[in-house]
Amino acid sequence: MSELAPDSVLRLAPGCRLNAAGESEDLLLIPEGALRLKGPARAIVELCDGQRAMREVAEELKRRYSSADGVRIETEVAALLARLRDRGVLEAV
Amino acid sequence: MKYTPRSLIAEITHRCPLHCVYCSNPLELQRRSAELPTENWISIFQQAAELGVLQLHLTGGEPLSRSDLTELVRAGRKAHLYLNLITSGVGLDGSRLDQLIEAGLDHIQLSFQDTEEGSANEFAGTRSHALKLRVAEAIRERRIAFTINMVVHRRNVERLGEMLAFAEHSGAQRLEIAHVQYYGWAFRNRDALLPTREQLDRSVEIVEAARERLKGRLRIDFVLPDYYAKYPKPCMNGWGHQQMLIDPAGRVLPCHAASVIPGLEFSSARERPLRWIWEESPAFNRFRDESWMPEPCRSCDRRTRDFGGCRCQAFLLAGDAAATDPVCTLAPTHFIVEETLQRVNGSSGRSWVYRNDPT
Repeated sequence: MSELAPDSVLRLAPGCRLNAAGESEDLLLIPEGALRLKGPARAIVELCDGQRAMREVAEELKRRYSSADGVRIETEVAALLARLRDRGVLEAV
Repeated sequence: MKYTPRSLIAEITHRCPLHCVYCSNPLELQRRSAELPTENWISIFQQAAELGVLQLHLTGGEPLSRSDLTELVRAGRKAHLYLNLITSGVGLDGSRLDQLIEAGLDHIQLSFQDTEEGSANEFAGTRSHALKLRVAEAIRERRIAFTINMVVHRRNVERLGEMLAFAEHSGAQRLEIAHVQYYGWAFRNRDALLPTREQLDRSVEIVEAARERLKGRLRIDFVLPDYYAKYPKPCMNGWGHQQMLIDPAGRVLPCHAASVIPGLEFSSARERPLRWIWEESPAFNRFRDESWMPEPCRSCDRRTRDFGGCRCQAFLLAGDAAATDPVCTLAPTHFIVEETLQRVNGSSGRSWVYRNDPT
């Protein structure tokens, strides 16, 4: 699969949604089951609202985790979003 | 409790306009007069969510046969469950589909019997194929997750290529190709439905090639007939480990076939809290751990992966639910499966029997 461009705008595909906030674990519910989301993954998926570009998702995350390495955040956001897109969980708008 | 149920299969009715020759429902169907009323199901959904269930699969029979389906979907969503509808499509039109989506339906799984209309209607025992095509079109026009389910067997597996092409252009995101599993009515028609070894091997090749070609466009789940396997399937991922099924009358079972096993008493959700049934009931605990296992399972490294296979199949084939699943090549009763396969591979095909609807 191709890499995502920084200006790719993504949103959750039909039939994919986050479980209610505040449960004991963060889950992405999908037709065939559930994917467990670790660390900031839930926040990253929430930011994919069909409005923000991937670049803006990473910017927002850098703002929230200002002490973390910015380049690493960009790499990890790109990797997570590409993986979820390949899995059919996120779709390009 | 070590085990958390993750999915609830709700057989909300056994009524069905189709009479598929491979129907997986039990031989004894629950009558309409025995069906749980709406409020019992709503309570069950809430209890299930409290136990940890994430996914609710509404199935049957044909779930659209119940006029309160939209209300049940709404109640399931309110309980924070993921709502999956498993349907033949008969009884669905654009306006009912809109109501279901508005009520919170997440995903529709639509079954097809074939791509060739005459055969599809023959396998279903009713003229439903043309209607299903219209339903698929209505689903495609809406924003909802869509899976096509194709059941394959000896008499239609030759058209697997056409089935894949149909699914590719249907608007579905997923395709489930399931070889018939031999339980319920399908067990009665087994010798007419089991594919030959050659057909099976060819189907694996075709699906593998299609998976590669359709990567990123269509996800393909493929279920093999375990009679040809070397080791048994990890049935339900273990008895009472992750899933439960409730029949139309409210009986709670570890799977859709378990009612065939003699000597087990399955409690009703009308009479007992779901938590007690899941955690405490003797039926759910009967095959949960490894203490029931005979040899060769007991000392087998695979026992934590396949849990000794399927208890219902052990009963159906070997007459003992506590035997090693006879499909396992290590099982002392494996000769039963071998004899069946020899018979099927040596015959030019048999006829089948249709089932009637419950009253």
